[in-house]
Amino acid sequence: MEKRLETLLSLALPYRETVTVRRSIYRGGAGPRVAVTAGMQGNELEGLYLCHRLAVWLEQLAQTRPEALLGQVELYPALNPVGLDTLQRTLPVYDSELDRSFPGHSEGPLPQRIAAAVLASLQGAALVIVLQASDMHLQEIPQARLESRFAERLLPLAQQLDLDLICLQEAATVAETTLVHSLNARGEPGLLVTTGTSMGLSKRHTEQLVAGILTLWRELGVLASDLPLPAARHRPLLVEANQMYPLNAEVSGLFDAQPVACGGLVKAGELLGLIVSPFEGRTLAEVRSPAAGLLVTLRHYPLVYEGALLARIAGSA
Amino acid sequence: MSTPILLTLTAPLGDSFTIPYHDFGPAERPPRLALVAGLHGNELNGVFVLSRLADFLRRIHAGERRGQALRERIVLIPAVNVLGVNTCSRVWPFDKIDLNRSFPGDSAGETTQRIAAAVVNITRPAYYRVDIHTSNTDIEEMPQVRLYEPNDDERASACLFGLPAVIERPVNPIFTTHLLHTWRQYGGENFVIQCGLAGNLQTAHCEVLFRALVAFLDRAGLVDGIALPEDEEHLHYFGLNQSVALMAEQSGIFVSRLEVGRWVQAGDLIGHIYDGFSGEIRAEVHAPTAGLVGSLRRQPLLFEGDPMARILTLTDAGNQMERILHSQGQ
Repeated sequence: MEKRLETLLSLALPYRETVTVRRSIYRGGAGPRVAVTAGMQGNELEGLYLCHRLAVWLEQLAQTRPEALLGQVELYPALNPVGLDTLQRTLPVYDSELDRSFPGHSEGPLPQRIAAAVLASLQGAALVIVLQASDMHLQEIPQARLESRFAERLLPLAQQLDLDLICLQEAATVAETTLVHSLNARGEPGLLVTTGTSMGLSKRHTEQLVAGILTLWRELGVLASDLPLPAARHRPLLVEANQMYPLNAEVSGLFDAQPVACGGLVKAGELLGLIVSPFEGRTLAEVRSPAAGLLVTLRHYPLVYEGALLARIAGSA
Repeated sequence: MSTPILLTLTAPLGDSFTIPYHDFGPAERPPRLALVAGLHGNELNGVFVLSRLADFLRRIHAGERRGQALRERIVLIPAVNVLGVNTCSRVWPFDKIDLNRSFPGDSAGETTQRIAAAVVNITRPAYYRVDIHTSNTDIEEMPQVRLYEPNDDERASACLFGLPAVIERPVNPIFTTHLLHTWRQYGGENFVIQCGLAGNLQTAHCEVLFRALVAFLDRAGLVDGIALPEDEEHLHYFGLNQSVALMAEQSGIFVSRLEVGRWVQAGDLIGHIYDGFSGEIRAEVHAPTAGLVGSLRRQPLLFEGDPMARILTLTDAGNQMERILHSQGQ
């Protein structure tokens, strides 16, 4: 097994420094190439940790059974290095979302150059997992969101990833500027996996994803079929977008969530939290589940405006 | 006269705040014209000019401007992103969402969705609708009318503003969450005006924009009795094939002494790229073709591949990079 760090793109900054986008490559046999990308939003760190955990596992494999890596693994933990270095979600200076810049162009401004360099590097991959955390207000359980038109190919892959939820949805046209759409549109399977929260790590979920990803890689022939792996224990719930029930705040205030676990089952009408006033003892509203099902999203940032998303439940009304 | 309110919102700490608007002219009719600015809270030229235009219309309405009269109903929202204006933020400050990526909105959704739905609700009945923007904090735009796959009426009416440049573009599918896109579903005539640089006020551009809106009020028959000056610049329409994007081939500090809205000849100096540390000149940037300087970079920190200027040409000299920028929504 050969390991190397490679630079995809290097660009001079206005004042002397250089920005580089890098990937790690673990090269075994001539089997399929697979990749994990992360760090497109500079405040989402879940994917950086996932890449580290996969690297730990691969480096242990290099000590114990290097020949069991039949293909090639590529880790792209930090696609927005300037955003990560400065704790900004978007690409600093451009203030644009990197994941709205695909397919990009090699002679365009920085977001487009990164996009084009990433897509060029991923050419020919048998599977790309695009990992994102939730936005800064929410926490999510490990889930994949698949565009319906690509579902036939992607669903069998996603089902082996040890996820809690798979949601099939129609893509908005703006989603056509995402990495995962560009990959699927050109015929390379790209799976968008969402987990955890911004600005933090959900380590239990990371280990769940490590087990799922390794299982899928073994299935694809990247890892030897007799290789023992951490057990994948989850059976994902498969839903369509209309089976996802959003719960929005009725009033503005401070959301005081009940100790309900994201990923747990809730009953219709179950109390999920209160919206309270910081100035007085009064409860402004009770927050109750609109449906019975799996609590897949829970608000993690407590200040809310009227209409703010508090939770999402996958299930039946 | 009490101020009409588009939407009242309650902040998390319990204070309420409003998005007010102006409504002039015969109340029994649907508005003939809706003017919107400040979807982006740091685009201050449009906010300031619409507030000044509201004062102008109020004085006509009050009979303080002799010989002038309102013939039609006009609705103006000087600032949609009220929190953004108060904090000089392009996006809605709480959740950093771009209001002009939130249309058509949802009256029961997140804050930005509710605001978008309220803007559509009040502007939808109008026949003419104008959304005023100022590019961003990097690029200064000469005051111009933007049309996206216009119909013949829109193309004809675009000249009523009397601005020297009317820029036409194909509709880009990634613009479907813009206000203009939603308006197009409801017919009428829809325009975007770009004017100046965000984060600041350029009084010369504001004067041009104010005159353009007053000219439109007169020529579209909304207000009687306005005498327009006769010294307007000649007007040109520029498609994608008449637009040249000038991109940086190296990084550094970009400085230009030009002004937007000036005509240049091929080879004229546009600006310099300096080494930010040594101060040496790394490159001179020259106009590749003759034309009107429509856009110019004012934010000096230059990455390789950044746009520096846009030159609008009378011939089909447009370049591939302009098409690429357009396809990426810029």
